[in-house]
Formats: sequence, C-alpha cells, structure tokens
Amino acid sequence: MAALPRRIIKETQRLMQEPVPGISAVPDDSNARYFHVIVTGPEDSPFEGGLFKLELFLPEDYPMSAPKVRFITKIYHPNIDRLGRICLDILKDKWSPALQIRTVLLSIQALLSAPNPDDPLANDVAELWKVNESEAIRNAKEWTRRYAMDN
Amino acid sequence: MENPRNVGSQVGESDMECSDNDNDCFDDDDYYNAVDDNDIEQIDPCKLDPENFNYQCLGEEQVERLLNESVEYLSYNLKITPSLAKVLLLSHQWRVNKIIEKYRKDASDLLITSRIKPPVTPPSLPVSRYITCPVCVIPQPSEKFFSLSCAHLFCKDCWVTHFEVQINQGISTAISCMARDCVVLAPEDFVLKHLSRPNLREKYQQFTFQDYVKSHPELRFCPGPNCPIVVHSSENKAKRAICSNCKTVFCFQCGMDYHAPTECSIIKKWLTKCADDSETANYISAHTKDCPECHICIEKNGGCNHMQCYNCKHDFCWMCLGDWKSHGSEYYECSRYRENPNIAHESVHAQAREALKKYLHYYERWENHSKSLKLEEQTLENLRSRINQKVMAGVGTWIDWQYLFTAASLLAKCRYTLQYTYPYAYYMDVGPRKELFEYQQAQLEAEIENLSWKIERAETTDRGDLENQMDIAEKRRTTLLKDFLDF
Repeated sequence: MAALPRRIIKETQRLMQEPVPGISAVPDDSNARYFHVIVTGPEDSPFEGGLFKLELFLPEDYPMSAPKVRFITKIYHPNIDRLGRICLDILKDKWSPALQIRTVLLSIQALLSAPNPDDPLANDVAELWKVNESEAIRNAKEWTRRYAMDN
Repeated sequence: MENPRNVGSQVGESDMECSDNDNDCFDDDDYYNAVDDNDIEQIDPCKLDPENFNYQCLGEEQVERLLNESVEYLSYNLKITPSLAKVLLLSHQWRVNKIIEKYRKDASDLLITSRIKPPVTPPSLPVSRYITCPVCVIPQPSEKFFSLSCAHLFCKDCWVTHFEVQINQGISTAISCMARDCVVLAPEDFVLKHLSRPNLREKYQQFTFQDYVKSHPELRFCPGPNCPIVVHSSENKAKRAICSNCKTVFCFQCGMDYHAPTECSIIKKWLTKCADDSETANYISAHTKDCPECHICIEKNGGCNHMQCYNCKHDFCWMCLGDWKSHGSEYYECSRYRENPNIAHESVHAQAREALKKYLHYYERWENHSKSLKLEEQTLENLRSRINQKVMAGVGTWIDWQYLFTAASLLAKCRYTLQYTYPYAYYMDVGPRKELFEYQQAQLEAEIENLSWKIERAETTDRGDLENQMDIAEKRRTTLLKDFLDF
C-alpha cells in the first residue's frame, strides 16, 4: 500500500490533539484509513444519552472522493437506513475536497439534531416521522435506550 | 438565424419517393422553368407527407464544425474565450441570440447564473511566496497555485487529481471548483491546461462532446449500438429519422423507436405500463386460438389476421374471432374498443375489471401487430423461396416478381404505424375525435390485412390488383397521420 498522504496524517493528528466535542474518531491499528468513530447523541434530541458507533473509511482517492461512513449502532432515523447507510448531501454530490473528516462528522451530528424526513432513506421511518412525529420520536428514544446505551 | 448553414434538404423516406430529376432534360432558359412565370404556389411538403422531415446525418467532424460555428460566433460577439462561450452555450441550449440578448441586458447576472463567475467577487488576497494547499496540506511556492474566477487557490497536483477522479466518473462539463459550496465551473481550457495524460485528455474531450450534443436541441445521437452518427435537424419534433450508417429508425425528439402518431410522453407511459402489466397480459393472450367454427386449435404462423381454418376453410378474424365477411365492409370495427356506458355507477371492483379489460383490448392489438411484423419478416423469406421456385419453373422472371418485395416493405411500414395507433387510442378521451380516429384506424387495419393476405398468396398476374391495394393502404396511413399527427 502506498504511503499515507500528508493530508490524512495531518487530519488524524488534529483529530487526536483537538477532538470535536461529542465525537471521537480513532484510526484502526492495522489500517490508518479506517476510523472507529463514536458520536454522542446531541442534547434535546431523541438520541440524547446514546453513544453511536460508526465506521469511517477513506478511499484511495480521498480527498477527491468522499469518505465512506456508516452507522454500526442501530438507530431510528429517517435519513439512516437499516444497514446504517446515511443520506447526506456532502457524502454524495455535494462533496468537496476541501471538506474534512471533522466537518463530515459534525454534519452527521447535526443530522441527528435535525432529521430531514422530506429527503428520506428509510422510508417507513420517514413516513411515521411526517404523519406522527411524537410516535416517531418515542420510537427513536426507545431504540436509543435499547441499542445505544450501556454498551 | 443561429446556424447560417445551408442544410441540404433530405427526405427521410427513400423507398416511396420517385426521383425528381425529370427536368434535367430542359435547358436553363427553358420557358416553363422561368422564375418569374412560376405561378405555382409552393406547397409545404408536410402537407403532402405528414412524416416529411428534413435532417442530415453527420459524422463527428461535421458536428464539431457545426458546434464551433456557434462557439466562434459567440466568442467573437462577446469578446470572450471559446471555452467560456461553450459554458454559456451549454447552459442555454445553444441559443446564441438569447445569450447575446441576456449579456447585453446584464452581463454580470448572466455570468453568475451560468456559473462562470462567483455570486460575490472574491477579495484579492495578498499572495505570499509559500501557500499551503487546503486539499493536500503541502506548502508550495505560489507559482504552483491556480484558481478559477472565484479565486479559490489549490495546487496544480490537486487540480489534476480532482479532474482525473471526476473524468473517471464520466463528469466533464460539470466539473466545478474544489472549494466547499463553490459552484463555479472549470471551463475546458482550464481543465486541458492541467491535464497531461493523453488518454485522459481524450476521454475528457469525448465526454464534453457528448454533453454538447445532448444539450443541443438540433442534434441527436443515433441510438444504434456503437453508432457514431449524429442527426441534425432544425425542427425539434417527434419525427422519423433513419441513420445513414446503421439504418436505425428512431424518433428525433426522444431517441426511442419511432412512434407516430403517438407522442413521446404517451409512448413512454405506454411502454412503462406494458412492462409493468405484461405478465397478466401475456397470461391472458395466449399464442393459439381455436377455430370458432370447428374448434380445431390454430397457431398463427403469418402476419395476416384474416385467418382461414386449414381444417374447415372457415374465414375468420384472428383478433375478434368474428366472421371475416363482416370485416370486408366499412363496418369493420374489430379495432374499436366499446366502453361500458354505465361504468360510473358500477362498483370499484367492476371498474378495475373494466380498466383491465380496456387495457388488454389495446395491449393485445399492440402486441399482435408487433408479432405480425415479426412473422411477416418470415413471410418475406418464404416469398424469396417461392419466387425462386416460380422462376425455376418458368413462371415469370426474377424481375417480374420484384414488386412483391416493394409490397412487403410497404406492408411493414403500414403495420408499424398501425401498431403505434393503439397506445394513441388508449390514452385518447372518449368523444367524436376518438370515434373518428378509431374509424380511420379500422379502415387502415382492414386495408393492411387485405394487403397482407394478397402478398402471401400473390401470383405474377395479380400485380395490378396488388399495387392498387398498396396504394389504398398507404393512402389510409397518410390520411390518419395527417389528421392526427400534431406538429
């Protein structure tokens, strides 16, 4: 495997030295392009109190291509599907090489605070979120309690 | 005029046209050809032939030349680089005059909405000798840095990798600046200045060419597999184009199979519907039917819908199983779907059944004519061997039998149109216009079946009769198209 680009080294160093509040991202011991991520559920959201595990992988042509990110912890959210895949514009067509791991994770954290049921990935969840928001939020809290706590 | 080219008129149809070179034998000063004596009104060719379509089949170089004329004209008029002219043309469907008009009105607004300039003019930054590239975070001398009009500086290496990644994803004219939320596009000269690998440059130019052609309302790629031909026409209409290279016949507007008299949007709806519902339809429409007279099982092995039972010699219609005698007259109605007049008062279940029944009526006929077209290709093969036999047996010469091939190709053309009248009718509102359409459709269908019947059984002596039948069928076809093709 080719040597790690300076860009990835710099980003990793900064993530370690000045971590983003509520987010931890640690590179895997055997693969510096694979990160173990933990995002804490934002305050005043149905995910509050939960610790959500994610995996983040930097592809060969990063930063020209977006990192691949997936939730490992089960989560009840209209923009995240059963396999943990995330519907977020900056991970797809709105990706810019000037964005970083840090900005991506911040955006994911923001997505937890502000779900967007009009641009859904998990259709049944989005549907409930639109027609009966309080029940959807109850479900999200229940899933957070069941899957994202005491791990 | 946007493209001041003298586009040679080419008639889309070759098989039916007779050559018009008769006046070659007159001298230039011929009395009858004198210009000022020309009191004959110019007749719009579309009135004579509703399928008349002026177009040209162009090769890549000819297309390049055509596009370059617009590019040069615009870049000369607005005093901008050809690359920027291309960005403008692409975002304005190559409407040169529209661009010039907009430019004169508000140049800055045009350049911003066309993503050539950023919405906010960037502040001019003091340039230090060393800059750290925001993408690769490597500090380098400032000469290695480049930006678009938005002034977002990145090093050359990063630009090159950015272009490579984008091009390998098939993106070319839509490559934009690397900065976050910056929409400024990278024009062709900027990309090519940085790309050095010849295969990538070639790929990039190939992709941009495709984008230019696809955005141009007067151009359409031939949909034939691996065919490089581009069809050019100044009328962006759902007309029939025939590729001069691979002979693919397609609709100029949508690039799908030619579908007159049905519109592009309707045929798309119909084909999707057929793809969704075909299982049911296939189940219901079996490939064999029983003779209504003696109930022997009959497989259809020719295109003609006028069936004669080989067992009891009963003549009947394959479509409605009715006696063929009733189909010879103008009361031929088997193509018409009769809606249940009381349907509004029926239950939902009954309405669904009725909807399915209606769809199946049209689908069966659509499918049946499509199959007939294929079967008639086999008929053509049989015809060939039959003619061989006849010629060998001394019945007429090869030349004597040639008219049968003309007849067969006309039959295919008529049946093709007939096939496409069914989706048209399916989506028509009930009313006098639909009645008229279905009347004409029935007339066309009757004449086509007559023609098919005659071709399958033709002898040299029937030539006059057959040619008469050909004429009637083609007349019915053009009459229908004239009345119902909306251009």
